Amino acid sequence: MRLLVTIVLGVLGVLPGAGGAPTQSSVRFAVIGDSGTGDRVQYEVARQMVAARTRMPFELVIMLGDNIYGHQGPDDFVQKFERPYKPLLDAGVRFYAALGNHDNEHNRFYGPFNMGGERYYTYTVKNVRFFVLDSDYLDPKQRTWIENALRNAGDDWKICYFHHPLYSDGGRHGSQVDLRVVLEPMFVKYDVNVVFSGHDHIYERLKPQNGVHYFVAGAAGQLRKGDVRPSEMTAAAFAQDQSFVLVDITGDDMTFEAISRAGQIVDSGVIHREARP
Amino acid sequence: MTRAFRFAIDHYLFLPVGAAVALSWANNWPASYFTFAHRVSFMVNDVGMALFFALMTREVVEAAAPDGALHTWRRLMLAVAAASGGCLGAVLVYLGYLQMGDESSVLAPGWPIVCATDVAFTYFVASNICSQRVIPFLVLTAIVSNAIGLVVLELRYPIGEIHAGAGIALSMVAITAAVVMRRCDVRSFWPYVLVSGAISWFGLFLTGLHPALALVPIVPFLPRTSRTRRFMVDAPLGARDALSRFHRTWKYPGHLVLFMFGLTNAGVVLRGVGTGTWAIAIAALAGKPAGTLLALAFAVAAGLRLPRHVTWRDMIVVALVSSTGFTFALFFATVAFPVGPVLNEAKLGALLTIGVSVLATAVAKLLRAGRFAERAVRRRASAPEYVGV
Repeated sequence: MRLLVTIVLGVLGVLPGAGGAPTQSSVRFAVIGDSGTGDRVQYEVARQMVAARTRMPFELVIMLGDNIYGHQGPDDFVQKFERPYKPLLDAGVRFYAALGNHDNEHNRFYGPFNMGGERYYTYTVKNVRFFVLDSDYLDPKQRTWIENALRNAGDDWKICYFHHPLYSDGGRHGSQVDLRVVLEPMFVKYDVNVVFSGHDHIYERLKPQNGVHYFVAGAAGQLRKGDVRPSEMTAAAFAQDQSFVLVDITGDDMTFEAISRAGQIVDSGVIHREARP
Repeated sequence: MTRAFRFAIDHYLFLPVGAAVALSWANNWPASYFTFAHRVSFMVNDVGMALFFALMTREVVEAAAPDGALHTWRRLMLAVAAASGGCLGAVLVYLGYLQMGDESSVLAPGWPIVCATDVAFTYFVASNICSQRVIPFLVLTAIVSNAIGLVVLELRYPIGEIHAGAGIALSMVAITAAVVMRRCDVRSFWPYVLVSGAISWFGLFLTGLHPALALVPIVPFLPRTSRTRRFMVDAPLGARDALSRFHRTWKYPGHLVLFMFGLTNAGVVLRGVGTGTWAIAIAALAGKPAGTLLALAFAVAAGLRLPRHVTWRDMIVVALVSSTGFTFALFFATVAFPVGPVLNEAKLGALLTIGVSVLATAVAKLLRAGRFAERAVRRRASAPEYVGV
């Protein structure tokens, strides 16, 4: 019932916490995946992000990989990143990128991606800690790193993001079960709240799996139209147009909206963080 | 049942059966399959495969001995040339294919995978389609290709924390112990395996090299009796030397290891096919045969000779057969890439290289090379002669 009310309010654009000035403790960010095509639709999605920011002034954008497609020279960074997101960059919005299979690993040195030259890294914004993984190359060293980082994190919210989805009903790729077997036990053990991934060029929100909320948001540039095969684990899905996600974390609640290229809210809701002993 | 088991052993079918079970399991019940594979992969890939590589080393030791099937430096030189050319051709095609897309950064580190040749699989394919005269050359080429790939992999992808000093010291102790045992005429293979082998395993592990190769430097020290033999046949029942006893004792467990290797590593999600899959398959299909044949042409032009009674048509078939990576390509892939979608792509490519053997059979038939030439001769000999009226 609560979810239904939330969705209705979200569609009406009157969701509490989704607009207005940020409170002292709120963390607001946008989520884009598989964005770097450099074509018209990427720019249109970027314009919707700018429009959404007037309503919900987010301070950072997390990028789920495949940030730059095709050739990856200096001009490409301009055409596929700097130009479409220029209003956001000019407003001081910071981007934090994860690497996808179409990204050159040297892109981690590109300043505006804020990766600090690392394939995997962590950072904190207020009471939210983000863990960024390189799912292309989840070697033992990275596995040890993420386990230690999660164990040592005492933040209220733990959010992981990386390119390949552990759960997905996307028709082209679907769930990466081999990665899930390795990562999910850590996510459950160390109380990760939310996981964002891309790779499948759709939007999907999954029902909580072992207490963890999963999103697929790989349609901020690319789109595989209609490529969703809803299953019993699907909570909501949208694959008719490009999309991105807006998130507001205030206290124990994470409010989210998935917004299409046309500016329509296609999914929304609130995730309540259970207090853990 | 016993006959079926015997047939499976004789035709190295345990690995393909394990691979087939894994494919079905991974695509129907992926969660349980990958949980299983994750749990057993260390025991199978790092411990069990030591036995497989030991048995392969035993084949090489027997065959490279003065009375063995692969002896003489001329054979070796030609095989080295063919293998080097094959690896180079495959790697160039692999990297070239990747350059056409934008996933080179992620997939390029997998280039040693395309050097792999499945020794046992190609041997059995070649036994059925090639002339017997060409088989020692084929096997030697396969061994050299794998040696090239393994050396590159071991140098490029050290495993775990590296303690090179301690690791090298332990490896030296292991080899020295084997030498001493050989000098002291220790005739049982057990001390070689349990003492030298175990120390060697830890030595390689600490050095960052793959511990599955632990018995490779130890097996050559096992005492053997001189005899004339063919490649990849059982040790004679009466043979009492350590190498033969080692083979008799571990042959069946070796097949179990191969089954488990197929079961643990060949389970790939079929819709995980990607650029890496095609890059490996095309490198095996085009790059490796082309590189092998070009290198052979250069070697012959430089003065080396093809094996006696072997034609270029035979060599075309050999070049194709030796491009089947299968087991070794799967193994190389697990070393080059960690668990995840990239490894899945690479493994699919490794499995697709089996198709090159099918192509080789078709080409052999088309060219009437190897066994097909012999059959054609037999048919001509048995055909009734027509006398014009």
